[in-house]
Amino acid sequence: MTGAILFADIDEPGLATLDVYRRRGGYGPRLLKALQMPREALVEELKASGLRGRGGAGFSMGTKASFMPKGQIDKYLVCNADESEPGTFKDRELMQKSPHMLLEGMIIAAYAAGANRSFIYIRGEYAQQAVIVERAIAEAKAAGLIGERILGTDFSLELWLHRGAGAYICGEETGLLDSLEGKRGNPRLKPPFPANQGLYQGPTLINHVETLATIPHIVEMGAQEYAAIGVQNSTGTKLVSISGHVRRPGNYEIELGTPARELIYGLAGGPGEGRTVKLWFPGGSSSPVLTGDDLDVSYDFDSLAKAGTMLGSGAIIVADDTTSVVDVALKTAQFYKHESCGKCTPCREGTNWTVKMLERVKSGEATPMDLDIMASVCENIIGHCLCVLGDAMAMPVGSMIKKFRGEFEAYIEQARAANPWGSGHAPVEALEAQGALA
Amino acid sequence: MAADVDGVNGGSAGDQAPITARHPGESVRRWSNGSRVPGWDDAADLSKPPAGVPDAATTPVPADLRAEIEDYMARYPDHRSAAIPALRAAQERHGWCSPEAIDQVAAVMRLTPGYLVAVASFYDMLELQPVGRRSVYVCTNISCSLCGADELYARLEEELGEDPGVNLRHFECLGACDIAPMASVDGVYVGPIEPGEIAELAEQIRTGAAPLPAKQLLDRKSADPGAAPR
Amino acid sequence: MPRPEPSFITFSIDGREVQAPENTMLVDAAKLGDVEIPVFCYEPKIGAPVGACRMCLVEIEGIPKLQTGCSTPVKDGMVVHTQTDRVKAAQESVVEFLLINHPLDCPVCDKGGECPLQDISFGWGGGRSRFIEPKRHFQKPLNLSPLIAIDRERCIMCYRCVRFSQEVAEDYQLVLHDRGAATYVGTFDGHPYVAPFSGNIIELCPVGALTSQPYRFRARPWDIEGAGSVCTLCPAQCNVTFTVRDERVLRVLARENGEVDDGWLCDKGRFAYQAVHVDDRIVRPLLRDGGELRPVSWERALDEAAAALRRAGARTGALAGGETTNEEGFLLQRLLREALGSEHLDSAGGLPPAALHALARPDLQATVADLEWAHTVLVLGTEPVDDMPIVDLRIRKGVRRHRANLAVATPRPSSLDPNASLSVRYAPGGEAAFVAALAAALFGGELDGPARDAGADPDGVRALAELLRTGGEDVVVLYGAQLLGAGPSVAPALLKIAGALNVAGRAGAGLLAVPGGTNGRGLAEAGVLPGMGPGYAPVAGGGVARGTEEIAAGLAAGELTALYLLHCDPVRALPRRARWQRALDKATTVVAHAQFLTEGLAEHATVVFPAESYAEKEGTLTHPDGRLQRLRQAIGRQGDAAPEWWVLAELAKRLGHDLGILTGPMASAQLFAAVPFYAGLSLDAIGPQGVRWADAGDGAGAAAFPAPAELPAGGEPPAAAAPNGALRLGTFRSIWAAPEVERSPALKFLHPRQRVEMAPDDAARLGLAHGDKVAVGADGASVHAVVALRNASPAGSVFLEDGIPADAANLLDGPLVDIRKA
Ligand SMILES: Cc1cc2nc3c(=O)[nH]c(=O)nc-3n(C[C@H](O)[C@H](O)[C@H](O)COP(=O)(O)O)c2cc1C
Ligand code: SF4
Ligand code: FES
Repeated sequence: MTGAILFADIDEPGLATLDVYRRRGGYGPRLLKALQMPREALVEELKASGLRGRGGAGFSMGTKASFMPKGQIDKYLVCNADESEPGTFKDRELMQKSPHMLLEGMIIAAYAAGANRSFIYIRGEYAQQAVIVERAIAEAKAAGLIGERILGTDFSLELWLHRGAGAYICGEETGLLDSLEGKRGNPRLKPPFPANQGLYQGPTLINHVETLATIPHIVEMGAQEYAAIGVQNSTGTKLVSISGHVRRPGNYEIELGTPARELIYGLAGGPGEGRTVKLWFPGGSSSPVLTGDDLDVSYDFDSLAKAGTMLGSGAIIVADDTTSVVDVALKTAQFYKHESCGKCTPCREGTNWTVKMLERVKSGEATPMDLDIMASVCENIIGHCLCVLGDAMAMPVGSMIKKFRGEFEAYIEQARAANPWGSGHAPVEALEAQGALA
Repeated sequence: MAADVDGVNGGSAGDQAPITARHPGESVRRWSNGSRVPGWDDAADLSKPPAGVPDAATTPVPADLRAEIEDYMARYPDHRSAAIPALRAAQERHGWCSPEAIDQVAAVMRLTPGYLVAVASFYDMLELQPVGRRSVYVCTNISCSLCGADELYARLEEELGEDPGVNLRHFECLGACDIAPMASVDGVYVGPIEPGEIAELAEQIRTGAAPLPAKQLLDRKSADPGAAPR
Repeated sequence: MPRPEPSFITFSIDGREVQAPENTMLVDAAKLGDVEIPVFCYEPKIGAPVGACRMCLVEIEGIPKLQTGCSTPVKDGMVVHTQTDRVKAAQESVVEFLLINHPLDCPVCDKGGECPLQDISFGWGGGRSRFIEPKRHFQKPLNLSPLIAIDRERCIMCYRCVRFSQEVAEDYQLVLHDRGAATYVGTFDGHPYVAPFSGNIIELCPVGALTSQPYRFRARPWDIEGAGSVCTLCPAQCNVTFTVRDERVLRVLARENGEVDDGWLCDKGRFAYQAVHVDDRIVRPLLRDGGELRPVSWERALDEAAAALRRAGARTGALAGGETTNEEGFLLQRLLREALGSEHLDSAGGLPPAALHALARPDLQATVADLEWAHTVLVLGTEPVDDMPIVDLRIRKGVRRHRANLAVATPRPSSLDPNASLSVRYAPGGEAAFVAALAAALFGGELDGPARDAGADPDGVRALAELLRTGGEDVVVLYGAQLLGAGPSVAPALLKIAGALNVAGRAGAGLLAVPGGTNGRGLAEAGVLPGMGPGYAPVAGGGVARGTEEIAAGLAAGELTALYLLHCDPVRALPRRARWQRALDKATTVVAHAQFLTEGLAEHATVVFPAESYAEKEGTLTHPDGRLQRLRQAIGRQGDAAPEWWVLAELAKRLGHDLGILTGPMASAQLFAAVPFYAGLSLDAIGPQGVRWADAGDGAGAAAFPAPAELPAGGEPPAAAAPNGALRLGTFRSIWAAPEVERSPALKFLHPRQRVEMAPDDAARLGLAHGDKVAVGADGASVHAVVALRNASPAGSVFLEDGIPADAANLLDGPLVDIRKA
């Protein structure tokens, strides 16, 4: 494994301050070099690095930047710091400990995109992190790193931190734009894509925290060297958040292409004594689950896709063999039901319906036929929604029903046996005993 | 009788059962996940006038609140972008996004209160019912619940249930699964919270003291061995 | 912004090659190939597609995911499938999802039978549901407003209603609350959704979630018929469909006409139909007998009226109100001129006829649709939402969708100010000076003097001129015709402004007047003007021709003895109420056609003929932009009401003059023959959508327009009064100030009560607070009002409402008033 890049100095005391960050090479020659490169060359460099978006979709950062139209119009850069995907907490650590790395990446990305206005949209829950990033912005502005004519070049950039107020859908890029415009965070139809018509109708480049924070390092190392890390189509390092039933939960910077077993067991210490991995989400709660049999998959975009799932936000959630898959499915579905924006029909109704069915499974009022209906409802959501939040519930829940059907069926049997009357048909005596008829 | 909203009366609903009035005299109905039970049964009150943009001449706004909102408005090419920060500012002063608070924001931003209430009701952190001043969010999403968050929530509720000064809520993943089970106390993340620490934490919440100083996230070192300072 | 030219492309849908304009949305393009793609949330009238309901998913070759047909612009060579298994499965699943919580109470739902959800479930649904959980149940229906009931169980979240409120009416009162499956439609803190256009959401709702309170449970779709006509309640002349059951109007729906109303109605137009069927409608002829109006037979009424008119002869004056049709106006002027030899008639409230003629030139004329596509729109001396409501929506649309520059120049703060790039205020009474200042600014002349006379900021006038000059070639000036009453200099100055802006002959640019009454333009063209016959022809015969002002004076002085009122109560409708009361007092005979006994008629009329309501009438109207539109009878006349053309012909006959009219269409034919630029029009040619006379007969209409005489410059414009410690009086007439609104049970709650709008500083100086009860007085008269503080109100002026029965602004003559606490 190569040395850490983003996390190389992460626990350095005071790294969040401009001084220490500068001492560690921040805002150094690489920034000036980037700002003096022709825009096109910089975009080419980013493309050549093979850097793929770290926010979930895995789209090439350089290619996205190249979609930004030329010309003298108001263009925007937006950093997606909404980090709300369950299981994901790496941006938090990065922003809290090394906010200037993000800012430096934003300056370079904004320059590459031709944007003179930029915003960081941070989730409202990250109150402490917001304070830290605000402080870093103020320092950078005072030092002339953000503002008019940065480092004497003719590139100027405005930057503001914008705090959200608690809505997962505002991590979806167009929902984020609506929210940043002061509206309800409903996703927009695409096309038009943000690069054509984004914030305030202007061309907008949206990237994720980790994607942006990587950029200064690519400029410093050069695309070639960066692209040499990782595997084909998945270059570079990746921050992975590992949580759930592991001994050492936390963020780890790994080289893409490392086997998953090494991450879950090697880095995070695996599940507790005597326990085994039952199922795991490889890329946040939106990714279809894998089982203990899939631990040897290589942790990179293509291999995970081939395994029928996705790298997503790089958040691994591990559940050991004590876990009931019904509980995990219900938690997952409830989350998406709660976070569905409600704009489009399949997601709004489908997540709600799925939760109701899973609740019936839990209360012993379901039959195995309900599993077929649930699977079909998930099918009916996938690919039919406005954004992919609906799919993000249907894929993992669908995968759990498929991979653990036997367990679901057994659960249904047991729950029915424990509650033979169902809640709606309890005999009068039973209700009296519960005091329900008082 | 309460409305027959999904699960409000549905006995089987388990995790979806609503929290009945927790504080004496308080009538906030919430799903157990913290969301408000919506006002589907609410009719318009025909004795009220329609709610247009409040006229500055008849809607007094505290000077500091006005200044703060105007500062936010100046940051964006479209002043409506300041809606969330402005609502948060008003919430800080009023304790919740009360109709009065929303009217004040509307008067400064020259928007209708309807616009603002639509925004506020979309976001979990903006409160449209009176709540306790201290916000305690307990993450009960997948990772945290695998690590005992549901028990943590139940215990905290037992401890704090009667305290009208506390707004205890289930919350979706707070982005701190590395310290599961965890809670955010007025934005301060603490965890992993051991069962033995819950009473202490509750006391700190009640008294306004710093929550579990030894367990605060900001002081935590990275788990990554490669991240140690060189 | 000029209107784009469509270019046609070819695409394939379900194996058929279809031609369609490029970039039309697939669902619309599909119709051209007779393929229907079901939609719920798509409604292009509201704005850009939102793709929310997902009902319109289709398969497009080359795109892996199904796409929403409502938001996909059609391109050349596109290959689309709507009948594949994948599409069918998607459609069935969306219907299944939508019906999960929909109550299926169709048998007791107003929408049943005309419900898109029913139709689409039938046509595209799978016919079964696997949802066995209990559906949501809520109280229903709930009040959303006194006019609209909301049934949230039935809502399918297409949020058309909310988008209408936010993106069309821009009132932002109706919003979505909460999110996800808990989302619901509502208002802020239980306030009702009351706004000038709220009723449109009833028609937009594709299910029965929003229903009309007045129409609720009155009929089922199979009991009713639709009858197309035109609303005559304001100059916008929106096209409507009356829902008729058993000869009663039960509902009014929009009948979309892109050139007129864009498919919207205001709430007055939508709900005031109730006044057709109220008890206090006049349905029999009335004759004053022993001081009281008593019902009499038609014979008696006609004889008495004819006798009285014969006695008065040339000493008869006549006023036609705005709701008068072209034909009625035309016959009225024949009666006056031919049978009575009188030249004392007016329909324009005293505006100078020569000015009306000069400004009616077809090459200067802008259309309603031009408001949407213009580069710059100037709203001058009118409040569209009150004076011609539907046009307010058009202007907003232009600003929002086509980024038109909007400039507003009015004395009173305008509801369009927030959309305007520039708003300029002038003082009430400063109209003429303001127009002069603007003309001067456009020609680089001296403007500071006139601007100050107008009570306007000279820099504001300069900025306005700059915006008009540099905002783009297509400029439309929407002006209140009442401006012409401010002095003889106004019309020449307006023409000068038009000249400076180069709008003459330019498609997409021009002037558009908002007349004081519904058919103001048509009545002028039909010859109901003093000294001007049909087609603006000067009337020979010498002698004085009295207009509105002079008729009042002539009656008061005893020089005129009879007054003929066609749909007009001057006490209610015209300024200076006291003067009219004196004039009517003195008149020996007052003959009126009316539906209601408004104050002036109740006190002074000698004979009252029961007038037709607009649902009972046939004839034509001329829209302010020159479009002739057809009124068609939807229901039988109430009681003994008779058509006005018949009454006028009968009276003429009794006066020894045969007008040669035996049917309504004969009156139309006479009119078309008499007005040179109406030549070539016929009722058939006008058809359901109307015809602009300037376009009729390939421009023959425009060519036949008689050249107006050069207007004299008009002298110094009068300056606004200096307040000197008092306050200037400005007046306005709200959309709700109408006898129909007072009488429609559903709208009663809206009819305005007097309030005096003023600036906070003025109020503070006078020790007044918001909500105080005050008396506003001048010259010994006073009206009661409640203080309404408005931050944007200009200091030094107050505004009172006109056109209301009690405490109306026309009780005060101005120009200055005092305010005392009552
Ligand atoms: C439902 C949903 C939630 C998302 N949440 C986040 C998020 O919290 N943070 C994030 O960076 N991207 C999130 N994304 C991905 C963004 O839409 C977008 O792809 C990303 O910000 C692009 O940045 P990148 O190209 O640098 O990855 C989410 C996407 C969806 C569909
Ligand atoms: S998929 Fe869900 S979150 Fe996305 S637009 Fe549809 S309802 Fe909203
Ligand atoms: S009509 Fe296309 S999504 Fe609703």
